[in-house]
Amino acid sequence: MINFDSFSLENGLRVIVHRDESTPLTAMNILYDVGSRDEDPEMTGLAHLFEHLMFGGTRNIPEYDTPLQLAGGENNAFTNNDITNYYLTVPAENIETGFWLESDRMDELDFSQRNLDIQKSVVTEEFNQRYKNQPYGDSLLLLRPLAFKVHPYRWPTIGLDINHVKNSRLEHIREFFFSHYAPNNAIIAVAGNVTTERIRALSEKWFGPVPRRKTATRNIPAEPTQTSERIMTVERNVPSDAIYKAWHVCPRTADDFYVMDLLSDILAGGESGRLYTKLVRGKNLFSEINAFLTADIDPGLMVVTGKLMEGVRVEDAERSVNDVINELLDKVPDPGEIEKVKNKFESSSVLLNTGILHKAMNLAFCELIGDPALINTEVERYRSTDGEMVMKAARKYLIPENCSTLYYLSSKKEQE
Amino acid sequence: MSLPKRKQPPLNPFTAFNAGKVNLLSLRNSVPVYTIEAGTEDVMRIEFIFRAGIDKEYIPLLATTTNMMLTEGSLRHTSEEITRLLDYYGVFLNLSAEKDNAGLIAYFLSRHIKKVLELIREILFEPAFPEKELNILMRKRLRWFMINRERVQNIAMEKFFESIFGSGHPYGHMVQESDFEGLHPAVLRDFHSKYYDPSGMTVIVSGRIPMNTANLLRENFGSLRSGNVYTEEFTPELKGEQQKKSRIGKEGAVQSAIRIGSPTINKRHPDYPGLKILNVILGGYFGSRLMRNIREDKGYTYGISSLVTSLDLSGFKVISTEVAKDKTDLAVDEIYREIRLLQEKPVERDELEIVRNYMSGDLLRMFDGPFALAESFKSAWEFGLDNSYYEAFAEKIKTISPDEIRSLANTYYKIDDLYEIIAG
Repeated sequence: MINFDSFSLENGLRVIVHRDESTPLTAMNILYDVGSRDEDPEMTGLAHLFEHLMFGGTRNIPEYDTPLQLAGGENNAFTNNDITNYYLTVPAENIETGFWLESDRMDELDFSQRNLDIQKSVVTEEFNQRYKNQPYGDSLLLLRPLAFKVHPYRWPTIGLDINHVKNSRLEHIREFFFSHYAPNNAIIAVAGNVTTERIRALSEKWFGPVPRRKTATRNIPAEPTQTSERIMTVERNVPSDAIYKAWHVCPRTADDFYVMDLLSDILAGGESGRLYTKLVRGKNLFSEINAFLTADIDPGLMVVTGKLMEGVRVEDAERSVNDVINELLDKVPDPGEIEKVKNKFESSSVLLNTGILHKAMNLAFCELIGDPALINTEVERYRSTDGEMVMKAARKYLIPENCSTLYYLSSKKEQE
Repeated sequence: MSLPKRKQPPLNPFTAFNAGKVNLLSLRNSVPVYTIEAGTEDVMRIEFIFRAGIDKEYIPLLATTTNMMLTEGSLRHTSEEITRLLDYYGVFLNLSAEKDNAGLIAYFLSRHIKKVLELIREILFEPAFPEKELNILMRKRLRWFMINRERVQNIAMEKFFESIFGSGHPYGHMVQESDFEGLHPAVLRDFHSKYYDPSGMTVIVSGRIPMNTANLLRENFGSLRSGNVYTEEFTPELKGEQQKKSRIGKEGAVQSAIRIGSPTINKRHPDYPGLKILNVILGGYFGSRLMRNIREDKGYTYGISSLVTSLDLSGFKVISTEVAKDKTDLAVDEIYREIRLLQEKPVERDELEIVRNYMSGDLLRMFDGPFALAESFKSAWEFGLDNSYYEAFAEKIKTISPDEIRSLANTYYKIDDLYEIIAG
């Protein structure tokens, strides 16, 4: 059980505090309710580029990192389709340094052309490193626009086209900041050996004066229901063929999310998952296979990815994947298997919550999607799922007309 | 709109790290079990370590394959049943075979301790090494190998190890396609009987440890008897290659992977803590010289880091980065420039102050929580040291002088000794 207190400031900033007396450190997580789904289709990748620029210093504090390192702290950040999330850990004695740094850069950034130019290069190299210079690196860049035609989930966080990042100008950056970075668009979670009274006082002192801003109204087009199967084939210079399949599923907050999460674990949660057992261990068709939910706030995807063994025909491999999927539509999983994936979920949830940083991140995210208490109550949501519900969800989502398939073929495959 | 400038809060001195209390209990067969009681949740981490790493292998891939085959079937259960049981009890099991040691780590809810220990005993001491599973594993590994061979990072790192340790030693063996053929269950059984022997086993338990744990460990592992262990004294030479610079072309690459470094001292050497501090200044944190120069000033890369690591028979240091292909030579020049700078000019007090504080904070992070406590203890224990190593390290962080750092840079970063591998 993770205890917490929560309160809001007058400027709309939400704060959650979790006390953990076992650690000399304190974690501070600050979540901004902005991700790549909030970008202009002509100017994608901006949320992530912006995350880089947040470390470029302000008029008051020319370097973000140095004072934090002097305080014994460390920090990082990530951006995804839904959120931009900054976090730090620091010895508890110096938590005020975290408040000073974060409130300062929430208040105003020092937008410099030089910093923008450097970070454009850094982000371009990040794009090259992650997506261009890796075998299969572009697979999800291809799968997204196949599955999403309208919703901004069709582009990845790095951007639809790296030229969007390269062409961005300071005025875009400034506008992005003032329309998304604001106390009324942020959630702070602090975890460690701290009291709520002290965190409340520090929040008032440092964040209280940051003005509420008129942030952009979110107006995201809903993805129309997919009505027919979509297929795409590419050839790349990779050693093995691969298959990627994606089905539209429910939003993160829907009841079905928990059912689908367990369903993806039945398929691929650990080596005892059905896909691994049947297709890697049993039929020896794949060298690796996985299934996961993208767990997006708007309706996201369930994705199955697999790399084929040498000499296996793509059609055979795919038919076998479909057989495993279809079995979920035809047959209620036996209670032992359901119990297994529930146990595994419970175990992973408790294991993850042993660290203050994870607890702080998780509390902030749970607040964003509705209630920080979800950090404790989600286990029950999983526990109350049964086999019938899994079969019902499979029948609802895992149907061919809701599926997009990417065949990622090796161009240098030896003749079979 | 901006707020009036507000004063920076005072920087407070913070508590020193606490390595926790490590208890030692010995099983009847003298297997050492270290226990560290810590944490807020009823979870545990248990690690079983054997001197069964890559440096013990007499055939390539033998150590890693033996280790990976441990869960692929036992005398009582098939591979499928074992993984199902592990998942049923919510166990996260990591098998690993590193350069020196091999074994497994399990993370699980404390209430399952009894079942988990029974399963681990079966996995470690009753593996069946079925031929069918072995063949599947080797075919899979060959595919992974082919895919990894497409990554410039892997190409450069493999070549780096071959260059600094020599192809005649397992530390430096570069895996070949042909290595994936010809491993037979009998060879694995032989390696297993030599190196997965209770006489060479150490256990580290941490987390919220139930009362009956010691008894359960005794029951499961205390009566295991050692075989008549005959280990060949097999001591190939660690010998770096003559050629210090290698460039490996990779068709279609948009970035080059750079690895610059050399063999070096390990944790047992008195200079090691100082070398670690020098390494942090050079490339060991976000504010490091290399990050500031090559990422934050020039934008050549998404990241650059330098690392100093200990091995049983040696140690190594390596600077790693992936840079835009047309910036490769510029980046390499800048790396050497930063090394020379550390050799020529003493570090300024302000920079050293940042590094001292950052590293002191990092020591707190290295001992925060039951899992971190066990990992840090293990990495001292592996070298015959205990947590007093970290006390000495903390002291060195506080007291090291700019002159000492410069002198270490001259002793350990001689430019002529460094290997330079570029793939891309």
